[in-house]
Amino acid sequence: MTRRRPLPSLAALLCLAVPLLARSAPDAFSLDEIAPGVFVHPGKQLPLDAPGHDDIANIGFVVGARCVAVIDTGGSVRIGGALQAALRGKTALPVCYVINTHVHVDHVLGNAAFAREHPVYVGHALLGPALTGSRDFFLKNYAADLDAPATAAQIIAPQRTVAIGAPLDLDLGGRHLSLRAWPKAHTDCDLTVYDAASGTLWTGDLLFVQRTPVIDGSIKGWLAAIDTLAGMPVRHAIPGHGAVGTDLQALLEPQRRYLQALLEEVRAQITQGGSLQDALRDVRPLAQSGWLLWESTNPRNVARVYQELEWE
Amino acid sequence: MSARQSVPRQRLASPPGGAKARDGNAWQFGRKSRRMGQGPLVAVLLVAPLLARADNQSPSNGAWQSMRPQLYGTRAIGEIGDQLMSIDAPGSTPDPSATPIVVHFGKELTGKLKQVRVIIDNNPSPMVTTMNLQPGLPVDEIDLRVRIDRFTSVRAIAESDDGRLEMRSTWVNASGGCSAPPSASGGGTVGEIRFRPSNDAKALQISIRHPNNSGFQIDPRTGDPIPPHFITHIRLSASGQTLMEADTGISLSENPTLRIATSEPLATPLTFEATDVPTQARFTATWSGNGSAAK
Repeated sequence: MTRRRPLPSLAALLCLAVPLLARSAPDAFSLDEIAPGVFVHPGKQLPLDAPGHDDIANIGFVVGARCVAVIDTGGSVRIGGALQAALRGKTALPVCYVINTHVHVDHVLGNAAFAREHPVYVGHALLGPALTGSRDFFLKNYAADLDAPATAAQIIAPQRTVAIGAPLDLDLGGRHLSLRAWPKAHTDCDLTVYDAASGTLWTGDLLFVQRTPVIDGSIKGWLAAIDTLAGMPVRHAIPGHGAVGTDLQALLEPQRRYLQALLEEVRAQITQGGSLQDALRDVRPLAQSGWLLWESTNPRNVARVYQELEWE
Repeated sequence: MSARQSVPRQRLASPPGGAKARDGNAWQFGRKSRRMGQGPLVAVLLVAPLLARADNQSPSNGAWQSMRPQLYGTRAIGEIGDQLMSIDAPGSTPDPSATPIVVHFGKELTGKLKQVRVIIDNNPSPMVTTMNLQPGLPVDEIDLRVRIDRFTSVRAIAESDDGRLEMRSTWVNASGGCSAPPSASGGGTVGEIRFRPSNDAKALQISIRHPNNSGFQIDPRTGDPIPPHFITHIRLSASGQTLMEADTGISLSENPTLRIATSEPLATPLTFEATDVPTQARFTATWSGNGSAAK
C-alpha cells in the first residue's frame, strides 16, 4: 500500500529551530515599563505547539493608586504565576481585576494563578461561552499547562462582562481603564483596554506585529475593526503579539494589507469556481514579507476565510 | 498518534504553481501527500523515500481492520499506482473541521466506477460516505470536505464495474474536528444549496448550508452537547436518472460540500437532493447549467 509515513512531531523539528530564534535567559521573566505604571512582559514568537508555547503572548498589568489590573495571563498557570511574582516585585497593591482580551489559550490559561487574590475576572460578553466551547479542547490538549490534576475549574471565565456598544470603566484608584468589546474580528470575544493616564491601548490580538495574524473570527469584521482602531489617538500601542510601539496606524498597516489581500484573493478563487483545496494551494499573499510563522498560519487563515466568504 | 516513526522527509515550502506541479527529482510528493508547510526556519535535507512503494503495514488501531472484512470480505484490494487512483489531503490539516480530501481516478477507472467509499479510521464515525455511481459516469475526481478528529489514516476505496477494488490512503494530522464548535459561517438558511461550476465546466461544486452537527460539539452557551443534526443521504440526478447517490454522516463538515469532476460535462439540468436526521427534512435544488447558482 502506498502511503506517506507519519511526520516527526512538529515539536521535535522545532527543537532544531528554537536556537535560531531570539529568546531571553530561561530564568528571567522580563518586564518592561512602557509608560509609568504600565508593565508588559513580551511574548516569544514561537508556534503554539512548540516548547515555550505558553509564553507567546504579550501580557502585563497597570498599577493604579488603589489596586492593579492584570491584562492577559499567559498560556499556563506557570507563566501566570511568573507574571504574578513579577507584579509583586513592583507593587504590594492587590490585584483587583484580571482582564482577558479574548479566549485563546496563550492569553487565558494563566488565570488560575491569580485566583488566590480573588480578583474580578473581566472579559467580553461572549468570552464565557467561548471558554465553555473550548473547555474540552483545552483540557485535552493543554492539560500540562494547568496545575495537576487539570480540571475545568482552572479555566476561569469572566465574572464581569463587557457588551458591544457599552464600554466598561474600571477605576484602579485615580486611574481609569476603558474596556471595549468588539464585534466578531480576530475571535468573537475581542476586548481592548485603554489607559487614559498614559494614552496606552492594549489591543489584544486585534493587532499582530511580526507574527502572522490568525483569523479565528471574521476577516470582514477584523478589517472593520482595524479601520476604527486606526482612527484612535493613542500614545502607546501594546499588540497581542510583537513589539510595543507608539504609532498605532503604522503598526496596523502591514496587518491590514495582509488581511485585505487574503480577502480579495480568496473571494477571487470562489468567484472563479476554485475549490477550498485550490485556495489552500494558491492563496499565498505576502508570503515573502517577513511575517513570522507564515507557512503554518496562512493555510489556516485561507481555510477560515474561504468558509466565511463562500456563502456571500 | 502512531508509534511508527519514519525517516523524516524533506519538507519544502509549497512551490509556486502549487504542490501539484511535480518536480522531476527523487523528492517527489506527487498528489499523494501535500504538505501545508510548517516550521519555516527548518529545512531538513534527508533522503525521501520514492513514492510508489509497497508497504505491508496497515495502521494500528484503525477502524479499517474491522471494517475491511465486513465490507469486502477477503477480496483482493489493489493499493499501488498513482496513475490509477490517488488520494490527496493536507498532511496537517489547516482546519480539522473542514479538511479537503481529493480522490483522483485515472483513465483506466474513469467511466468504470461503481462505488466509492471514504473512511477516516480514527473518527468517531469512520465511514464518511458510500457513493454509488451511475454506470459509465465519467468521474475523474471526487472532492469532499471532512471533519478529522485526530491523527488518522484517510482512505478511499473504489469498486469498478468489473468488481475490481482499489484503495488509496494518506495520513492527516488534526485535532478536534468532530467537536469543533460551529464556525464563523454558521447561520443562514438551512438547506440553501449552491452550485459552483469550474471555469472549464468539467467540475461542479455543490454545497448545502447545514450545521451537520456531529453530536460531539459543545454548545458554548449551555455547556451541553449540541444534538446530532446531519445530512444522511444525497442524490444527484438528471432527467430523472440518478447519476450519484450517497450515504453520508457526521464526518462531513458543516455546510457539506462535494465536488465532482468528470471528463465530459455533466448532463443538465442537474438536481441535487439531500435528507437529514433527525428532522427528516428534504432539501432540493436544480441547476440549469448556466454559471453558478443559488437555489
